[in-house]
Amino acid sequence: MTSRPLSTADSVSTPSPPALEYHDVTVAYGRRPVLWNIDLVVASPSLFGIIGPNGAGKSTLLKAALGLVPLSGGEVRIFGRPLAEVRGRVGYVPQRESVDWDFPVNVLDVVLMGTYARLGWFRRPRAPERLLAMECLERVGLADVATRQIGRLSGGQQQRVFLARALAQRADLYFLDEPMAGVDARSQEGIFRVLSDLRDEGKLVIIVHHDLRSAAEWCDNVALVDMRLVATGPAAAVLTPANLRRTYAGRLDVLDEIGRAVEEGGRTP
Amino acid sequence: MIFLPSLPCLATFLIPYNTVVVATGVAAIGFAAGVVGCFAVLRRRALAGDAAAHATLAGVAFAFLCSGGRRDLSVLLAGALVAAVGALGVLVLLRRWTRTRDDAATAIVLSVSFGLGITLVSGLTARGVPGSAGLEQFLLGHTAGLTRADALMLGGLSLAVVTIVVMALKEATLVAFDPAFAAASGWPVGIIDYSLVVLVAVMVVVGLPAAGAVLVTALVVIPPVAARQWTDRVGVMLLLAGLIGLAAALAGVATSALVPKMPTGPLVVIAAGGMLVISLLAAPQRGWLARWLRGRGVKRDWAEGRLLTAALRLEDEAGPFTHAALAARAPGGRGAQVAFKTLVATGAIRATEGDVVPVESRMASTHRLASTWRLSRHGRDRATERARRMAVWTEVLEVAREDARGHLTMDVPAPETVIEAVRLAAIRASGAEHG
Repeated sequence: MTSRPLSTADSVSTPSPPALEYHDVTVAYGRRPVLWNIDLVVASPSLFGIIGPNGAGKSTLLKAALGLVPLSGGEVRIFGRPLAEVRGRVGYVPQRESVDWDFPVNVLDVVLMGTYARLGWFRRPRAPERLLAMECLERVGLADVATRQIGRLSGGQQQRVFLARALAQRADLYFLDEPMAGVDARSQEGIFRVLSDLRDEGKLVIIVHHDLRSAAEWCDNVALVDMRLVATGPAAAVLTPANLRRTYAGRLDVLDEIGRAVEEGGRTP
Repeated sequence: MIFLPSLPCLATFLIPYNTVVVATGVAAIGFAAGVVGCFAVLRRRALAGDAAAHATLAGVAFAFLCSGGRRDLSVLLAGALVAAVGALGVLVLLRRWTRTRDDAATAIVLSVSFGLGITLVSGLTARGVPGSAGLEQFLLGHTAGLTRADALMLGGLSLAVVTIVVMALKEATLVAFDPAFAAASGWPVGIIDYSLVVLVAVMVVVGLPAAGAVLVTALVVIPPVAARQWTDRVGVMLLLAGLIGLAAALAGVATSALVPKMPTGPLVVIAAGGMLVISLLAAPQRGWLARWLRGRGVKRDWAEGRLLTAALRLEDEAGPFTHAALAARAPGGRGAQVAFKTLVATGAIRATEGDVVPVESRMASTHRLASTWRLSRHGRDRATERARRMAVWTEVLEVAREDARGHLTMDVPAPETVIEAVRLAAIRASGAEHG
């Protein structure tokens, strides 16, 4: 894995603005802060991992960028503009548990939902949209279950349906919230491969992820988050024992595991 | 009831023309209520509709007071709609501004608004306000009182509601399935949500004459739940729910036509409930009966398969085997005993003295007679094939658990199809890698 140029504010000498900028973003649920003064700039293309312990505000960081939670302060800009102006260029994979999988739709129906925003009000998907949706299913290896009710899929297949729906959005910036939850190693590799293909096509892929080892393997850049931004930069430079200790401080049960993961990750270039 | 025998339509020889118009109108109400209800049920907002329904009574009473005691249906229903939407508004405010939980908030709005409605209606009738006696008909429904104009108005409103829902099917489905994704891709989820809730309120109001404030929710909730049993597609579910609602609503008309002074609501609900029970029991995939049969068949097949595989191994190790040895190898209680008898009856396992055992003897005595058993040729074939499939499946699951698991069922299908699917997926994936 080649490491990519660091995406920090000083590289904004390029003419186009960075794909994603958080400026002083703070989010609170009631009086309890979930994100605290996040300053983060991510340039495209990248496969960018957001890493942190449970309850660190990783999902909220995505939701803040997508306008799904109100900001207590600060601002998010996407491609240098407010979200409302560039929604069509943003794709989203929510957490799998956020929907009712007994809902009466089949796999193709769900993937077609990725084309709805482009279609606009009241226009139905037609042959071109169906073709696109089938291509996206093909890409995640689910073309043979296109007409199956979504409840009759395994967890990993459900995740890949969501990924296919995001692909059908044909976005330039993708947000994925825990797309590897409940996915076995082989499916995980398949998903990561699709994601790094997207990166190679010049897109920015932001992924909330919990597994340090595969994050180190697949993500070129990462951000360590624990309510505040602990560190960001190339995966190898950020996932250091010192940084991890700062992020996971006080969570002794995971420290051992992290230590092991870091040692192994340290051996890979 | 006005009798209009003038039109030379066939139905008018049997049924008064007015009744035909009213029946058509009420059928449209039932259809629309079922269609709109689908999204209330899918979005888990069924109870909000019930709160709105109970609030309508107060609205009807207020409208009656304000209009100076006239009993114009459209005025009364306008009052009902204001009350229904008002109740939903209070519900939203309770949720947003206080920390009352959803179910508690719904129960509060429902009971308080209904109490208000009952107080108003009883107060009016107790004082003998002229015309107020008829207000009680809004409690349980009464289609006999509908005029042709009323029925046309209600039927027209119903058709309008159905048109809106069908037009916005794509948007409504998206928001009901995945509101977060809908919001992230720029849809005004709140507006779509509230529009659907208001449409439910409209149908609750329009359905008042058919089922009454207390029972009209049933017309919105039962048909969708019944329809869901028969299909896995939203569009089909809408159509089926509409048809079930239509049939239930017509049951109400029939009551009014046959039994004067009988409220229609209860019969509407009973008819809908009957169709629901049938759907819950008899639907081919999700029905209780189908699932029970599937479950029973699965258990039986599995027990037989286990016995066969065990018998095959026993026989390969040491020739003919005793029942005790087989039971020890594949223990399983009563299910295993039944499976053993079935295997003997179908000739998969035979007694070694074989043909000595009379075929027509009771199964219980059959295996008391025989001391040792062997697999018949077709029993051996079955056992070999199952053992082979189990072995291949074990390997397939080892290599590709995620992809293979979706294809694995308890009747141990031939693994070849899966291997093909997994191989194709792997080829596609490697193609994507290079592409």
